[in-house]
Amino acid sequence: MTNDELYRLLRAKYGFTSFRPGQLEVISKLLNGQDVLAVLPTGTGKSLIYQLVGSVVSGLVVVVSPLISLMQDQVARLNYQGEKRVAALTSQLAFGVRQHLLNHLTSIKYLFVSPEMLSQPAVLTALTTVPLALFVVDEAHCISTWGPDFRPDYQSLGQLRTTLGQPRTLMLTATATQHVRHDIVTQLGVPGAQQVLYSVNRPNIYLAVATLSDEAAKRARLQQLVTGVRGPAIVYFSSKRQTDLTADWLREQTGLRVAAYHAGLSAEDRFKIQQQFMAGDLDVICATSAFGMGINKADIRMVIHYHLPTTLADYVQEIGRAGRDGEPSLAMILYVAGDENLVRNLNELTAASPNEIALDFDRFTHKREPASEVSQVLQYYWQHGADVATVSQLFEKRARAKERELQALMAYVTSSTCRRAVMLTYFDETAPQHDERCCQLDGAPLPLAALGLTRSATPTVTTDTDWVKALSRLFLLNS
Amino acid sequence: MFADYILLLFAPTPRRAKGIFNVLRGRRTVSTLFAGLTYGCLDQLDSWHGVPLETFLATTTKLVTAGDLTSPEAGYYQLTAQGMVHQRALKKERYQPVASVTFQTVAVRRFAALSQLALQVVSEAAHHENRYYPVTTDPGVQATVKAWFRRYRGPELAPTIFAALKAFLTTLPDELARIFVQSLTGYQFPGQTDAQLAAQFNREPVELLVIRRDLTCRWIVWLQHHPQDPLWALLAPLVKASPVSDSAQQTLQEFLRGGDLAAIAQRRKLKLSTVREHLLEVAILTPEFPFDQLLSPALITQLTTVFADQPDLTSWRFDQVQRVAPQLDFFYFRLFQIMRCQHD
Repeated sequence: MTNDELYRLLRAKYGFTSFRPGQLEVISKLLNGQDVLAVLPTGTGKSLIYQLVGSVVSGLVVVVSPLISLMQDQVARLNYQGEKRVAALTSQLAFGVRQHLLNHLTSIKYLFVSPEMLSQPAVLTALTTVPLALFVVDEAHCISTWGPDFRPDYQSLGQLRTTLGQPRTLMLTATATQHVRHDIVTQLGVPGAQQVLYSVNRPNIYLAVATLSDEAAKRARLQQLVTGVRGPAIVYFSSKRQTDLTADWLREQTGLRVAAYHAGLSAEDRFKIQQQFMAGDLDVICATSAFGMGINKADIRMVIHYHLPTTLADYVQEIGRAGRDGEPSLAMILYVAGDENLVRNLNELTAASPNEIALDFDRFTHKREPASEVSQVLQYYWQHGADVATVSQLFEKRARAKERELQALMAYVTSSTCRRAVMLTYFDETAPQHDERCCQLDGAPLPLAALGLTRSATPTVTTDTDWVKALSRLFLLNS
Repeated sequence: MFADYILLLFAPTPRRAKGIFNVLRGRRTVSTLFAGLTYGCLDQLDSWHGVPLETFLATTTKLVTAGDLTSPEAGYYQLTAQGMVHQRALKKERYQPVASVTFQTVAVRRFAALSQLALQVVSEAAHHENRYYPVTTDPGVQATVKAWFRRYRGPELAPTIFAALKAFLTTLPDELARIFVQSLTGYQFPGQTDAQLAAQFNREPVELLVIRRDLTCRWIVWLQHHPQDPLWALLAPLVKASPVSDSAQQTLQEFLRGGDLAAIAQRRKLKLSTVREHLLEVAILTPEFPFDQLLSPALITQLTTVFADQPDLTSWRFDQVQRVAPQLDFFYFRLFQIMRCQHD
């Protein structure tokens, strides 16, 4: 297919006249039959790549995705774009619906699936009976950062791909160091894959860190930011409870339209919050990292981390939700000395000592069910015939890697020199020359006015008390 | 709080927590149904389906710590004096559902999912909008709604739905009608979450959960009286004629034709105990059950005498019967208990 034809398709199907950076290059390589690892910055329309390839190549496009909520977002987005032949195969589907889906795979074009679901024999068997246009591993960095002790099923993807007859493969991620890229292609068994790499740098996002004395100062600073800086804003937390509490507190303190978003909400509430945010009905979302992976809102002006992200790669992903319209935006970390211990505690949750690992192997040999999350992870290794020594080594290596990741993050947080340079060096990139629109250096004020990020008037909230009017607006045209 | 609604399920006499839990999550064994009958909460059968046992038990423990409940023996709880005062207050303050019994015969949760998407589709279509995020991506729900919409689409659909919803909502207090409308999802209106509605109406978030569930039930009842409504077509396949299971219903029919229980068991290739369980299920779920065909006047007199001094029938024990009638099967004792419960 020529570039001209691809441009025509882009215009006809999506109404765009030009490709975003990297899209055309990746699509062309895939259409030439090559496997591709694409590292493209957040907000560059990665899903358009497999949609467009899917519309040209016959067969099913299988997209492996790490989270159910993300899959549901992706299905809803394709539905929104008018693509009806799309489904997510998740554990939440009723058995009958799932069977029906597996028996009618030829009637759909895009199938979203988690690695755990993909490794189920019934699913795998059904997939071997239909031609595959493309095998997509979305958020492919999960293979490395989530792999060894958090989502072990990601480790099976290489073998699953072989079982599926080594279909043409697209690995997508927004952030990957050289080490992670090596991990991805090795684990998936595609060492010869073409690598299309674009910078993780988002020059329109101003980088800042506020070092504060205690929790009270942090809250005060948060309030000051959401009332003083242009929104819409996302504030990230590491716990659901804190998310709810701070959302309530901010709403009371500021009168702004604030909502909490986390995995503890019902699917219906998650849908409503996302849609309200997209429609501009909310000023601030307080969220756990569950929010945003599938969000495509171009005008998010500020991303605040109330708690530290777990790694720099996660950080780049999360702030990447800001400023997709290319306009200036602000990424801010609120840091109190010792916050890094919260990350350590989270890392601990998925760690295990050699003694604990040996005990768990004992549990496995006595055919007792795994009782903890770590135990469930270990179960995967025992079922795959690993021995205690190998697994202990793996866990130790992983713990060291996590500590290294944390140190890299802390180097960014505590840097007294250009933060963008610290971040880009971590991703093996060269930083551009620092200027006043780049990042906040130690002690410097936030250049809100220069960036055009000073908040203007707060919108007033009105709710309709007349339900008949509201009902007629929903169902009657011209009302 | 969830705990408020749990406190409402206990009484000054001991109740088995697990029994109540099984009623709420919709377990239909005879022992669960019997617990629901004697505890007066059978109308809530299946109405808190998704709540895990741990959450339920943790809540009862919390109520004990708070001094509202006390546990006379393992697994049993009863109200303290403080708990009784608290419970009286809650009955006035918290929204009390009126149509939960709908859960016994209708797949309420399924209808909630289908109708939510159906109303969104109709609303968007009314404004000629075909680019929107569907409220659910469940392929089963999508397929059912799609088939329904194909059958009913047309310029009259949205005005008809509007008129019908308006007619239904007019039968409700203003607060409930507003909650119903504001929680809908449709054209340029994502709808409000339970937490947002709770803040707006000055209620607890859990009350919104209860209110919205009850609104769905009340709407279902309304639709059952208006089968010409287009949404009835989505509801009809989810409605059962009776709360009794099909198999128990079959046993009942044979029994009403005058069958002897052992003969029914043989014909239906069931154990005699299963046939008896079926009849107990019917007796619990239908007050008009013909008790007199199984309990002779002599037996009724005998059992009445045994329990003459025990008005609280949850305190009756089978060994009290065995002392005077060692041959009597447990089935007749339980049936007598159910009859008393239904008719006293």
